[in-house]
Order: sequence, then C-alpha cells, then structure tokens
Amino acid sequence: MHTKLSHQELAFQEDVRVFMRENFTPELAEKIAHPATFKSATIEWQKRLDSRGWAANGWPEEHGGGAWSATQKYIYCNELAAVGAPDVIPMGIKMLGPVLYSYGSEEQKQKFLPATKSSDMWWCQGYSEVGAGSDLAALKTRAVRDGDDYIVNGAKIWTTYAQYADWIFCLVKTSDEGRPQGCISFLLIDMKTPGISVSPIISIDEEHHLNEVHFENVRIPVGNRIGEENQGWTYAKALLTYERTAIAGVAYCKHTLEKVRKLASQGGEESLSLLDDVDFQARLADVEIEFMALEFLELRVLSSIDNGEAPGMESSLLKLKGSEVQQLVQTLLWDIAGSSGGMVPDMHDAKALWECQGNVARREYMFGRAATIYGGSNEVQRNIIAKYALGL
Amino acid sequence: MNFSMTEEQLMLKDSVAKYLQDTYSAEHRVNILKQTRGYSAENWQTFADLGWLTVPFAEEDGGFGGNISDVSIIMEEFGSALVIEPFWSGVVLAGQLIARSNNDSLKKHLMPTLMSGEQLVSFAFLEPQSVFMLNHLTTTATKVGDNYLLSGEKRVVLNATADSILIPARTAGDGSSEQGISLFLVDANGPGLQRDVYRLMDGQLAMDIRFDGIQVSSARMLTAEGEAFPLISEVVSEALVALCAEAVGAMNHLYKATADYCRTREQFGVAIGTFQALQHRIVDMFMATEQCRSLLMRAQCSILDGSSDIQRDVAALKVMIGKHGRHVAEEAVQLHGGMGMSNEMPIGIYLKRLMMIDSYLGNKDHHRRQFCKLRYCA
Ligand SMILES: Cc1cc2nc3c(=O)[nH]c(=O)nc-3n(C[C@H](O)[C@H](O)[C@H](O)COP(=O)(O)OP(=O)(O)OC[C@H]3O[C@@H](n4cnc5c(N)ncnc54)[C@H](O)[C@@H]3O)c2cc1C
Ligand SMILES: Cc1cc2nc3c(=O)[nH]c(=O)nc-3n(C[C@H](O)[C@H](O)[C@H](O)COP(=O)(O)OP(=O)(O)OC[C@H]3O[C@@H](n4cnc5c(N)ncnc54)[C@H](O)[C@@H]3O)c2cc1C
Repeated sequence: MHTKLSHQELAFQEDVRVFMRENFTPELAEKIAHPATFKSATIEWQKRLDSRGWAANGWPEEHGGGAWSATQKYIYCNELAAVGAPDVIPMGIKMLGPVLYSYGSEEQKQKFLPATKSSDMWWCQGYSEVGAGSDLAALKTRAVRDGDDYIVNGAKIWTTYAQYADWIFCLVKTSDEGRPQGCISFLLIDMKTPGISVSPIISIDEEHHLNEVHFENVRIPVGNRIGEENQGWTYAKALLTYERTAIAGVAYCKHTLEKVRKLASQGGEESLSLLDDVDFQARLADVEIEFMALEFLELRVLSSIDNGEAPGMESSLLKLKGSEVQQLVQTLLWDIAGSSGGMVPDMHDAKALWECQGNVARREYMFGRAATIYGGSNEVQRNIIAKYALGL
Repeated sequence: MNFSMTEEQLMLKDSVAKYLQDTYSAEHRVNILKQTRGYSAENWQTFADLGWLTVPFAEEDGGFGGNISDVSIIMEEFGSALVIEPFWSGVVLAGQLIARSNNDSLKKHLMPTLMSGEQLVSFAFLEPQSVFMLNHLTTTATKVGDNYLLSGEKRVVLNATADSILIPARTAGDGSSEQGISLFLVDANGPGLQRDVYRLMDGQLAMDIRFDGIQVSSARMLTAEGEAFPLISEVVSEALVALCAEAVGAMNHLYKATADYCRTREQFGVAIGTFQALQHRIVDMFMATEQCRSLLMRAQCSILDGSSDIQRDVAALKVMIGKHGRHVAEEAVQLHGGMGMSNEMPIGIYLKRLMMIDSYLGNKDHHRRQFCKLRYCA
C-alpha cells in the first residue's frame, strides 16, 4: 500500500497543471461565477477540457473517454481544485453518459454520446416530482403509447439548470401493473418539444438554479426510450450510484479549506488574525482531520472502480461523508466572513458585492444545505447502509 | 422562586400572538420587504397604537413600566412570526439608551415621539476593528465650544431609515478603555453623514456610515462626558436577552412547523414523521429549544434579581442561541427536503434570521471567549 506517484503519473500531473494555468484564466473564472455568463462560459470551459479528452475522462476509450486509473482521476481532481476550476456539470457527462453507453441503442449512442461529451448538448435530470422525492418510485408523470410516440403528461420539480438545458432525461410511468418500480421507463426528451414549460424556483441563496418542468401532451418518439419499456428503474438506479460518487465534492472541500486557511491567516474582514486564535485552530483542525479521512475514502472508492467493481455501498458512504464535510467547510467559511457575510446584493452595487468573499460564503453555505438532500438524502443513504451493508 | 407569567403578561402574550397570527403571514412579510423602508410604516403605527412601543419604558416617562420579561414576551412572539419591524433596534436598544440616560431635556422631548411611533432611532455600535467589543472604539468626538466634532466609521447600523442615530465616540481615553466614551444623538439625514445602505439576508435594511467632523451640540450628549459606557453595557446586556428571546420564538416555531410537516408529508405510503430517524431529530430540535429557553429564563432572572452574574448568564445564553439556533434551523431545512431549500417556504428565512441574530452584538465564539474570561480568568 502506497500513494507514491510513478514517473508517468508525475508527468501527467505536470501536464494537467500547465493546462489549468493556461486555460482556467481569471476572466473565464469570473464569467463562470456570474449567472448572466454562467452557461456560455461553462460550455467554453468544458470544451477546453474536452479538447484534451478530459471532459468525459470516466467514459470507456471507445467513446472518447480516458480510461484513467484511480490515481489519474485523483491527480486531475486535485489540479482542478488547486486553481478553483469546476469539474464538468455532472448531469450529462457523469450521470447520463454511463447509462447511455451501458444501456443505450447503437443509434442513441451515436446521436447523444458525442454531443454530450463536447458539451453541445446540455442535460438536466427529470426524476423528482412533488409527491416523489425520496420515494422516487411514486412518480406520476405518465407516458402513454400512441403509435411510434409516447404522449407525456405531468411535472418534474427541483430540476437543476432546466432553464439552460437542451435535453432532459426523465423517469415516466408507463404501466400500472405490479410493483411501481416495474412501471417506470427512462426517456430522453428534447426541451424544445411543444408542450414543455419551465418555471423557476428561487432557492434560499436567493439564486435561480432550480425549476419546475411541466409536460402537457408532449409527443416523444419511442426511439428516445433507453432500453426496455418498464425497465427504467434499473437504469435509473445504476445512474444514481454514479451521481453519488460525483457529488461527494472532495476536491471542492480541499479547495475551500485552503481558502478558509488563507482568509483566516489574513484575518478576515475584521482585521483579527483568526489563525492565531486557538479556538479557531481547533475548529479548523477538526474539519481538516475529517477531510483527510474523506480524501482517502474517495481514493478507496476510486481504486475499487479501478479493479472493475461498480461503485456500490462505498458510494453511499462517500456521498454521506462528502456532503457532511462540505457543510462543515462552508460553515467555517461563513463564520469567518465578517459582516459582509450577511449582505445580499439586491440593491447595492450588485457586482462588487457578488464578488466579495462574504457574499460567496453566504451563497455557498445556503446552497450547500442541499448537498445532504439531493442525490438521495442522507437519511435515505443511512437507511441503505443499515439495510444492505449492516443487515439491519 | 416563581417562573409563571402574571395575568398581565399572559394578556400581553395573547394579544401579540393573536394580532400576528391574524395579520402577519409569510406573504404579508414578502410584501413588506418590497417597500423601500424595509419594514411597514403602517405596522409600526399599529404597534404604537397597541401600546407595544411603550412596554419597556418607565411609567413616569409615559411608558407601560414593563421589565425584561415583558419585553421578552413580545420579542418571542416577534421571533415566531419573523416580524421585521425595528422593535429591537429602535425600542429595546436605542429606546432604552435614551430612556435610561440622564439627559432629561432630551428624554422629555424624544421619548413621547418614540412611543408614538413618530421617531425611530438606531444605535451604531460596531466599528471595523472592534470585533464586537463595545469598548474598542476609535470614533472620536472633539469638543469645540458648545459642540462636538465627530469623526469615524460604523458598520451594520440596523434600520437604515431611522431618523437619528446614537453614536458612541471617544472624548478621552485610548483604544479599549471604558472611560472616556460618550454617546451622541445624531440626525441621520444631516450633512456630512455618508451612508451606504444594503439589505441583510434576513430582509432588514442596514447601513455603514462614515463621518468626518460632523457637528453635534453638547445638548445631544446622553450622559456626562466620557461616562456612557456603563449605560451602554447595561442596556446592551438586556437587549441581548431580548434578542435571544426572539431566537427562542423562532426556534419554537421551527420545531413545531417541522413536526407538522413530517406529520403530513407522505413518502413510501406513510407520513415521514413515522420514521424514527426523523422523530429523534425533531425531539432534539425541541430539546435544544427548551435548553435555550431555560438559559433565557435564567438570564432574565439574573437581571430582575440584580445578580452579579448578569454578564456571565447573558454570555452563556448568547453562546447557546448561536449554536443551537443555527442547528435547529439547519435541521428544519433538512427535514423539509427540497421544500426547505425553496424561498417559497419561510423555513430558510428563519435560518437566515437566526444566523443574523448570532452575528449581532457578538457571535457565539465571541461570547464564549467572554464567558471564559468571566469564569476562569477573573
Ligand atoms: C438543490 C437541489 C437540486 C436538485 N436537483 C435535482 C435534479 O436536478 N433533478 C431531480 O430529479 N431532482 C433534483 N433534486 C431533488 C432531490 O433529489 C429531492 O429533493 C430528494 O430526493 C428529496 O426529496 P424531497 O425533496 O421530496 O424530500 P422528502 O423525500 O419529502 O424528504 C423530506 C425529509 O424526509 C426524509 N426522509 C424521507 N424518507 C425517509 C425515510 N425512509 N427514512 C428517513 N428519512 C426519510 C428525507 O431525508 C428528508 O429529510 C434536487 C434537490 C435539491 C434540494
Ligand atoms: C446499570 C443498570 C441498572 C439497572 N437497574 C434496573 C433496575 O433496578 N430495575 C429494573 O427493572 N431494570 C434495571 N435495569 C434494566 C434496564 O431498565 C434495561 O436495561 C433497559 O430497560 C433496557 O432494556 P434492555 O437492556 O433489555 O435493552 P433493550 O431494550 O434490548 O435495548 C437495547 C438498545 O436498543 C434501544 N431500543 C430499544 N427499543 C427501542 C426503540 N423502540 N427505539 C429505538 N431504540 C430502541 C435501546 O435504547 C438500547 O440502546 C438496569 C440496567 C442497567 C444497565
């Protein structure tokens, strides 16, 4: 057991480092950070990553993926985090991608994989409904067969970035017989199809990430169904384990902890050097120690994927611990933000305040509360571990 | 020993609760926030008409003659309904500084207008370098003839639309001395006062102010020159207790709202409140609220008894409110799932309010340091 890097790995690290320095420019970072330019700048960034074959690094080589080892993934994420660069938006490349190449038809693979990989197709995830959150199988959005089409009626909620999406992957009900899990199909839907409307939900960070997506007699070709009718649950569940691995946010934690350390040593806004305060040191140390274990948990998961095992129980563990450590880090960040942490930019010089550290801390803390809710809430993850790992 | 409320207190509690229940809905609050003042002038007038603005003040000044318990009763109801009107900053904090000052002519002139709702005052206590210490002041007041010239900078002055501002400034002494602090009443709209107004995440309008040599008459100084610190310290202690009462009201609302939600929200064919994993969490929210309520009562008692432990008890209370207040609100968000993350539900607003309460007049870390100083270093 060791974590020493080989010569090739060191060379890879240097390659990524140089790329990040040259491509993740302050101008691009600023554009990604602002809602008005977020979408175009994110696409530009992902295209740059894709130009090196890094955007879809987890995909098989035959579909343009990197066939990376666990170590390479780890190196890559660390270099991203070191400059504060975001990883790709997960919905398309990280969540849908594996479903497409594992269960999609040849035609679907050809139509969707390249465009998804190159970020020319922005995906959102249409799983949750008002009555179907943790109990996903209770969903009611219905697809009724009509010749070569399905007619879809219903509504999805909490759909992240639906306002930007070109396509949505949806779970819909196609039967009423037997277990609810056996009545669900997996559909790919073009957001421009007539009958779809999107309405915003403002979250407690005062921003617009979330949406409701309504379907009124939306006509979808049967060819846009993944796999078999009524087998959607199987594909969806496979996808969830990838989602959980993606949202552990380990690299984000590392980057943000570094930021906390830096800000605390400058002395925040109120001129006191927090890092000299033993109380604060102890708090920071507690969080860092949790993080150190988390970092190795991720490596353990990555290396088991490396050995050909699908991410299973460890992905629940990683999601649980990762989301909890994220929140600890965000809380620290808010606590050291000083008085600007409480300000919202609705009337003030919005741009200046948007960029101010306290404001970033407020938004990250507030939106970060969701990390223990989405992707299968932490309570549900604990139920899963209790049942399947501990036999309770 | 007696912890029960008097007849009068029960009536006060009922009338405030009933009024808020009938009029102060979440939508009402959203509409208020759209108004430029950041609160409703109409509501403020109603509060005045109902006599609430007189509660903390002595009968000989025309007040109701209430004490910290009476004020806390109002604050707790306000916390439960998320009232945004500046009762705490204007009446409990600034109002009491004026009422307990010994500038009788200023008092005579000002108190009736405060209690009638015509005038609002705010207290500008925080400076960029002060790290919540009320005695760490660099704002200066220099005497020139019958006037003082004030120069300095204050942060996060609550109620940005107040008519006047109480500004503590040094007439003598160095950086952290308790001697040499004087308190001036300054026209908020007068010349030379630069204001930078912004909204806080709990919806209030606050401002940073700067002034360089603004002139204030010595008739507008609240105590004898250099002797304002004991007044400030006493009033701030009580105001902290009142603020914590608001927090207890908010926490009380949150655990109840969360229990209600879990009773009605169904997943997997049953109410989510039937899951023991959630039941224990709500019980913990309830327990945290009751722990805070006990410390709130303890602090009130020490004020009413004139105990020598007031500072310690207040610090302990503020520490616990800071810690448990945020935690209870975070749990409320979590147990509401996606709904807790949406601004359409007020759950997140309670979280923001509780976080702001923690930050006012010293957060939990600050008050824990004060507690340690008082208990272990005295
Ligand atoms: C920021 C954000 C982004 C999201 N993005 C998307 C998206 O892009 N696409 C999408 O489809 N969905 C998305 N979601 C939805 C998310 O997946 C759901 O919110 C989540 O599944 C929880 O469902 P719910 O909100 O209905 O809460 P509920 O299921 O009603 O849960 C309420 C509370 O009860 C608890 N609970 C539920 N069941 C149990 C149980 N059996 N035992 C113990 N506790 C339980 C939950 O943990 C939670 O604390 C997003 C949500 C958020 C907050
Ligand atoms: C030092 C000591 C002194 C004692 N003295 C006396 C005595 O004088 N007289 C007397 O009658 N008894 C006495 N007891 C027994 C005591 O009352 C029992 O131990 C207690 O009721 C728990 O029962 P149990 O040991 O069978 O554990 P169990 O009931 O089997 O509980 C095991 C664990 O499961 C948990 N658990 C059980 N039910 C639930 C539930 N519904 N939800 C969630 N968690 C649950 C418990 O909290 C515990 O952690 C004593 C016990 C001890 C340890």
